[in-house]
Formats: sequence, structure tokens, C-alpha cells
Amino acid sequence: MTLNPRGWPVILVLEVAVLAALLAMPAGLDHFWVIFVTRVMILALLAISFDLCWGYAGIMSFGQALFFGGAGYAVAVAARDLEITSVFIALPMAVAVGFVLSLFVGWFLLMTRFPPPIIFVALGTLTGSYIGQRLALSWYYLGGQNGIPSIPSLTVGDYPLYEGPVFYYMVLGLLLGVYLLCRWLVRSQFGLVLAGVRQQESRLTFLGYRVQTYKTMMFALAGSIAGLGGGLLAFHDGFIWPNSIGILVSTQAVIFVLFGGIGTLIGAVIGVGAIEYVGFELADRYPQIWPIILGALLLVVVMFRPTGLIGLLVPERERYGRFGKPPKGEDGDDGAA
Amino acid sequence: MPIDAAFDIISFTSFIVLVVLGLGVIASMMGIFNLGHGDFVLLGAYTVFVFDELGLPIWLGMTVAPFAVALVGLVLERTVIRRFYAAPIIAMLGTYAIGVVIRETVRGLIGGLYHAIPEPLPGMIDIGDISISRWRLTVILITVLVVLVSYLLLRRTTLGLKIRASLENPALARSAAISTGQIYALTFAFGCGLAGLAGALMVPAFSLSADLGVRFLIQAFLAIMLGGVGTFEGPIRGAGLAGALMVPAFPLSADLGVRFLIQAFLAIMLGGVGTFEGPIGGAALIGATTAAFPWVMNPILADIMVFVLAIVAIRLRPTGLFTKRRL
Repeated sequence: MTLNPRGWPVILVLEVAVLAALLAMPAGLDHFWVIFVTRVMILALLAISFDLCWGYAGIMSFGQALFFGGAGYAVAVAARDLEITSVFIALPMAVAVGFVLSLFVGWFLLMTRFPPPIIFVALGTLTGSYIGQRLALSWYYLGGQNGIPSIPSLTVGDYPLYEGPVFYYMVLGLLLGVYLLCRWLVRSQFGLVLAGVRQQESRLTFLGYRVQTYKTMMFALAGSIAGLGGGLLAFHDGFIWPNSIGILVSTQAVIFVLFGGIGTLIGAVIGVGAIEYVGFELADRYPQIWPIILGALLLVVVMFRPTGLIGLLVPERERYGRFGKPPKGEDGDDGAA
Repeated sequence: MPIDAAFDIISFTSFIVLVVLGLGVIASMMGIFNLGHGDFVLLGAYTVFVFDELGLPIWLGMTVAPFAVALVGLVLERTVIRRFYAAPIIAMLGTYAIGVVIRETVRGLIGGLYHAIPEPLPGMIDIGDISISRWRLTVILITVLVVLVSYLLLRRTTLGLKIRASLENPALARSAAISTGQIYALTFAFGCGLAGLAGALMVPAFSLSADLGVRFLIQAFLAIMLGGVGTFEGPIRGAGLAGALMVPAFPLSADLGVRFLIQAFLAIMLGGVGTFEGPIGGAALIGATTAAFPWVMNPILADIMVFVLAIVAIRLRPTGLFTKRRL
């Protein structure tokens, strides 16, 4: 059921279209919508990070918000107490916090002597996020229930970066960079190993791959990206609160990606855009119904359309993609999945 | 005082046991990890709340709740869950989604507030110079009864045999004229009913809020993993342990919490002794306990430490503390 009889590279077309739309948008939109789309792009980083975990490494992470919110809180505290607001310090710090947290969680949950059951990973990440929420809720230093309001804005030298077109293009640049990095990575030989793991993990293990190490690396990368997103959102919104680190945002990440289309990267970005936009339109009129609809939507997608929105447009073969050139000395299979 | 505290531990443990029992029955007998289980608990609690709002007696609500939730479970199994038997991993996402729907619906209905429900049996019983809450005692008795009945049902009746057969080898069970579809539906409804009962009984102790479920879901899963999946007794014992561990989250005085926290660590360590990883686990736990001790006075941190420690214990003993070492 694909609408692509001629075999265009649909994903590429989508990617270019989304990029073009994002590049052009600030010109045609008023200030409010520029801020809205900036926020969508930041959340897209969160979605990409979940997509890397579940769509590419087979790690069911219900706790992606731990890295997102953890980095957000870290930069918020640093900005509040140490007055660190420079882009060149704050954002690398957010990435580092996400990296360290996810490396630790990944090491802990994945690098076990026997491959951990998937429920343990799902539960472990969920617990991590829940612990983060409890800590943030009850720790006075982190502002408790109200979180940290009025975080100072990011600065480049002496110039403050307020929300608006400049911030927009900075986020777009970062998103593009992250996206291209991930896109290259999942289509590389590294991505090929992970594709093998998704197909049949035990075979890869017998072939001598350290499967758990690969997964942990991917998890740490995903955590870093979530961290970057969390840091950006804290500065962009100017506040952070316990929900950013807890179950709510973790669930959002899952919904974004499953709705948009798992394992395609661009699906994650489109999913965020679609959900956030519809959510914005509906949440005004039906603030209590919207979360229910989101849950029902997730259920429907899981039941009837596991490939998500993107599955309507992209054939199975293209979703898997190709994996670059094999290393020299191996036979000349083109590496297609 | 120690008897008071022990009673508190036991009564809290029985809540956890009830939650775990339903989850464990579904996980062990069907191979489905129901990530929406906590929200079935919430649904049970909400049913009681509705009865209270309507001015009907609370005990009536508590009687109706398990059946109402079981009915919801039955409908969901027939329409949704049955599609997932072939793909247990997708089932986790599906049940998670169901949980979100229930949670958000209840949140919408109760308006994001905390609601207190009075105990249907107020008052205390005095035994010597200790007085025990009458309601808590009832809960403990009900729990013991339910666990006993469930155990007998699964181990000693034909129905139980059929349920176990459907888990062990579905194809063979079908060829022996057991309708596995019906059995699964029943099992799932039964598990949900237990969740509803747990929610109904605990709602006077924990006021009703929409996030009630998530927290109990995590605790129940930790308990199951601690006890070992696939057995009947494992999750219950795990629940006992987890219940004892989770007491600090209970509104007790903080220093009592500390004492029992440490005792429970000792229990965990005992669980690991005699195996290769046991001593390592023990050392890690002692280290963590020592490091945490200055903070533990704060009940919230103690609560968090419990989650951390439980997951550490599971990581070190992936097959559970009480199962004989496999592999």
C-alpha cells in the first residue's frame, strides 16, 4: 500500500522538502509560530534520540526524558547559579550531561553478562525517568514542583539569544547537523551491524560481534542528542519543571516516533511536527481530551500501522536502506539489507 | 513500637502483593508484560471513588471494583490484547498505550486533584497495649485469602491445569481441546480483576490521584523481576520483599524507615548468598547503604534509593533472588 509506483527515493524527497520548509518558514510566519516551530525542532531532537534507541538499536527506552530533562536541569542550574549562558559552554555541557547519564544507564542496563530481557531495559529506563522526576519534584535546590523559572537566555559573547529567528536558525543548524550525523551513522557499517542485531541478535553474537557494546554506544549517542535537546529547550522556554524529566516527556518521545514512523529518522521529525501541531490546535479547545486521544492514537498505530505515517509513503525496502561500502577485502556485496 | 512497625510493613506489603499477583499471573501465564497494569489498579481505585461520590457505601464499591475492572480487562483482551500474542514486545507498547488512555481519562474525570476516601472499617483494635487499624487488618486477611485462592485455583483445579497447559505449549493444548483463546481471555480478566481489587482496597490508604498507577506499576515489576518470572511463588516473595522495602514511602516516621530499609537490604543480600555474584551484590548493597546512610533520614531519598537498589539487585541476579540459578 505505497503510493510510489515509480520508485523515487521518497525518504530523500521528504527530507529535502522538510528542510526547505524549515528554511523558508521564518520568512512567512509571525513571531508566535517561529517560536512554536523552534520548539518542534527541539523536540525533534528528543524524537530522533528515541528513534535511534528503538528504531535502530532495538532498545525499548521508556526513559528518554531522563537525559533530556537531566541536561535541561543541569544547564538551568548552571545558568542560574554560575551564570554560564554562553552557547559554547552551555550546549556542550548539555550534550555531556546527556552523554554521561545515558552511558551510565546504558552500561548498567545493557552491559550484562547475559543479554538483558527487553522488559528489564524498558523497566530500567522507566524507573530512571521516574527517579529523576521524584528527585526534581522534591529537591528544593531544583525548585521542587515549580521547577526552575526564568532561566537567563543563551548568549554569544555579549549578544543574548532571545527566542525568535536567530534562535530558530541556530536550532535548525544543530538539528540538521545531528540529523546528518545520524543518517550517516545508521547507513554505515555500524548501522549494518545494528540492523543485524534487530533481525537476529544471537546470530550476530555468534559471529563475534560485541552486540551489547554496539547497543550501549548507540544508547549513549541517543542520550547525548536528547541532552542537547533538553539544554536547548530549557533556554528556549526559559523554564524547566519536573515533567520535563519524567514519565510525561518520556511517553511523548515514544508517541512522536511511533506515530511518525519508526526507524526512518525523518519519520521522527514529521511525527513531532504533526503531533505538536494537532495537539496545539486541540489542546486549546479540549485540554482534557487531548492526552486521551494521544494514548488512543498510540494504541491504534501500534495495532494497525506499525510503520507509522511514513509507512504510507515509503516502501519497506527503502526504509531499511543501504549501508555504505563494505570494508576492503570483503566480497563485493553491495550491502543492501 | 516494633510490633506497630511490623504491622505497617505487613499491611503495606499486602497492597503490593495484590498488585503483583495480578501482574504476575498475566506475565507468567500468558507471557505478556502488561505495562498498563498500574492503570488497572487506578481504575479499581476510581470505581470506589465513583461509588463514594454517588453516596453509595464504600464497601459496595470495593466489591464491585474487581468485577468492573475484570470486565474492562475482558473487553480489552477480546479487542486489543489478543492481537499481540504473536508479538510480546509490541504488546508492551500496546498495553502502555492502554495505560495512557486509562490514566488520562481518569485524570480528566477527577480533575488532576488528590481525593481522599475514608476507610470503610474505621477504628482500631486493641491487643494488649498495641492498637491496630481495623481496616488494615482486614486488608491483610483479604490478601492472604486471595493469594491462597489464586494458588489453589492455578495448582489444584482443572481450570488451573488448562491455564498452565496453555502457557506451556499452546499448540498441544489446543489439540487437547482446550480453547486457549478463552483461557487467555479469562486469565487476563482475572489479572485485571486482581488489579482492580488492589486499587479498591488501597485507595483509603493512598489518596486517589491519576499517577497512582505508574508508581505501583514500577514497584510491581521490580517485585516480579526480583522474584523471578514464570513461577507463581516467585513474584509473591518478591512482592513481600519489595513491600518491606517500600515501606519508607509510607507515611511512617523517618527513622523507622531507615531501620527497615537496612533490614531489607540484609534480606536482599541473603538472597544472593551462595552464588557467584552474591558477594559482589552484597558488597555493592553495603556500599550503597553506607553511602546513602547520611541521606536516608530524608524519606523521599530513601524511597528513591529503594528503586535504585531493587534494580541493582535485579541486574546482579537477572533470574531473580529466589530462583535456583539457571544457565
